[in-house]
Formats: sequence, C-alpha cells, structure tokens
Amino acid sequence: MSIPDLEQLAGTRLPEGTFTISAAEDGQLREVLRAGPSRSGVAHALWAYIATQRGIGISVADLCSLAQFDIADGPMLGSSELEYSSAMTIGTTYRVDGEVLGLERKHGRSGTFDVMRYRERLLSGDDLIASATSTFILPRRAG
Amino acid sequence: MSAADLHLEPGAALGPWVVEHVDPEHMKTLAILLADPNPIHLDADAARRAGLGDRVVTQGPASVGFVLNMLTDAAPGATIRDVRVRFTANVHGGDAVVAGGSVQQLEEVAGGRAVTCAVWLDVRDGPRALDGTATLFLPAGGQDHPHHSKEN
Repeated sequence: MSIPDLEQLAGTRLPEGTFTISAAEDGQLREVLRAGPSRSGVAHALWAYIATQRGIGISVADLCSLAQFDIADGPMLGSSELEYSSAMTIGTTYRVDGEVLGLERKHGRSGTFDVMRYRERLLSGDDLIASATSTFILPRRAG
Repeated sequence: MSAADLHLEPGAALGPWVVEHVDPEHMKTLAILLADPNPIHLDADAARRAGLGDRVVTQGPASVGFVLNMLTDAAPGATIRDVRVRFTANVHGGDAVVAGGSVQQLEEVAGGRAVTCAVWLDVRDGPRALDGTATLFLPAGGQDHPHHSKEN
C-alpha cells in the first residue's frame, strides 16, 4: 500500500451504531478492574473506550482492513485519549459515530509501520457525552 | 474555599493504587467486554509466538482502567474530564502494577477548578507501562479526602 493511498483514508467516516451499557457488564468490568460499585447509575469511565469500540458499526478487524492490515498480524494500541462531557449512565442507549483522523507511515528499528489515528464518539441525541481517540500501530511485514 | 484548602495542589501525589496480581482469568472477561479476540491476551503460547514473552499480555485499556480507578480514588469529589496516555511497555498476567500521579496545575474555570495531573502505571520491579496526563474538574465548594494508598 503506497503512502498516498494511506493519506486518502484520513477523514473516512466510520459507520454509525448504538450501544447500551448494561448493569451486568458494568459490574463485570468493575470486578475485572477492581473498581468500586457504581454510584447513582454512573458507568465506569473506561466505557468511553469500550462502548465506542463496540458500538461503532465496524469491527476492529474491519477497521484495520481499511488500512489493508490483517488483524492477525498484531495491531498494537499506541495511545488512548478519553474525553468526557457528561457522565455515562447504565441503561442509556447511546449513538456512536467516528472517523479515521490520519495514517502516517514510519520507519523504525523494528521496520516499517503505519500509525492509524481514529476517533469515536458517544452521543445522546446530538449531545456529545464522551469520545475516544486512539492510535493503532500497524507493523508492515516485509514482503 | 481557597485552593490551599484542597489536597489537590501542585506537586501533590495521587495514589498509589495497586493491583497485586493481574489475573489472567480477568483478561478473558475483558476480552469479551472489549470484543477483542486477540489471542495474545488469552493464550501464553500466542504471546510467545508473537515474541511478547512467556505470559499473556494484558489489554491496554485495562491499564487505562487502573489509572481511572486511581484518579477516582484520589479525588472522589472530582469528575474526570479527560485522560491522555501512551503505552510504553506491556503488562503481563501475574504482574503487580502500581498506578500513580501528581498534580501539575490548578486553573480557575467556570464553576470550579480544572486540575491537570501527570499519570502513570508502573509494573512493580519492571518498566513503566503507561504515562500521560489527566484533567479533573473540581466543582466550587467541593473537597476531596483522598485515600493515600489502596491495594486491590
């Protein structure tokens, strides 16, 4: 895949979806993270990442495919930015949208890799509740 | 209430917030919650084949979650506005991890104060797995009584 092809992916809108944080799954997440119980129906803050990843209308594998990358080749999460406008609440169905922000080819000691940056947003109606901006590091295997 | 009344003043330490044993069984549950089937989180052989050591690798979002817990525990009267981190090393199943931070700046904003913090997650006796920043919002009149140390 040439660098110009990669650059054309910036701005690509991801298919929208919806997600509802259930009390059961919030409880499971809190157990895994050793977090305290929910207060007043507020979901754990990590749901900004999880709900957007699961609610967006494209799988992580297909997201990688946009960059012509096979998920079996091991994408790595390079960075994560979570922003909150309001608390996320259990039982609320949120709308999820997103876009690819950019792709950048780099060359390091371990070889060539691409850095894909994308943002997914959790919305209630048109009100932004939270967003997750992530970078995936996509190692490009020789040959 | 003045900024001096609050424990969240520049230089103040946040945490430590400790997980003594990152449980590989918990990674299986998190894999389901994340809808992330990557076998390096579930199968030590897969991690070994990928050149990532002899133990399963925890999901990056778990490390973020531990930092979020640390912030919530350190400032229960505040709300988290953002957290921005980069991943610098892997956490493996069985590791002990320590989340911490420090207050960098206080800023008066509408309705309260914005508290900018440095945050991190260290593998005990190992590398720093994550570092970054977070912003907390402390409403006017709010007060925090942090737990200075917590083990989980």
